[in-house]
Amino acid sequence: MSKILESLPMTIVAGIVLTVIMVMATNYLEETNKSDAEKLISDVMK
Amino acid sequence: MEDFILFLVRYLHVLCGVMWIGILWYFNFVQIPSMPKIPDEQKPAISKVIAPEALFWFRWGAAGTVLFGLILAVMNGYAHEALTLQRPDIGFGMWMGLIMAFNVWFIIWPAQKIALGMVEADADAKPKAGRRAMLFSRTNTLLSIPMLFSMISAQNPPGL
Repeated sequence: MSKILESLPMTIVAGIVLTVIMVMATNYLEETNKSDAEKLISDVMK
Repeated sequence: MEDFILFLVRYLHVLCGVMWIGILWYFNFVQIPSMPKIPDEQKPAISKVIAPEALFWFRWGAAGTVLFGLILAVMNGYAHEALTLQRPDIGFGMWMGLIMAFNVWFIIWPAQKIALGMVEADADAKPKAGRRAMLFSRTNTLLSIPMLFSMISAQNPPGL
């Protein structure tokens, strides 16, 4: 980890990777937290 | 009136955030990479004058960002949901901001006080403290990227 942090470009790349992971986790949690009614509505709207 | 106060709190949160992240990026994109290029006899201009001043606004910007951010979350009614990740869009950003602020006040600032000679320390403690401050400052730079994404996407659904 310190090898990545010692390089500013690698730190930025790691930040972008973490952002992608965060977006995927957010989408997963939002799907999981939906009520059955909300899931039905979003399925219909797709 | 309540709308205006909400707006004001949000404005103060962003104002403090710009102060904080602006100086964080100054440290990481400008100061740290420039230090090796500065002649030794000129380095005290950074370590004795610029860095202490920058660190003052940096840490109080962080404190203000957290304070106004938490007030905003409570006033808007999403603080608990966000911090328990029932609202992950802003919740992840809040957690990253809190971790970053913790890093500023409890790791970076204490280490910088040693590295800059603002407190008494052994000779070999200074370079270790300087490295610790650098690594955690880089960690905050890394976290600032998803944190800002979280802030923007929470206000601009559906994000991606």
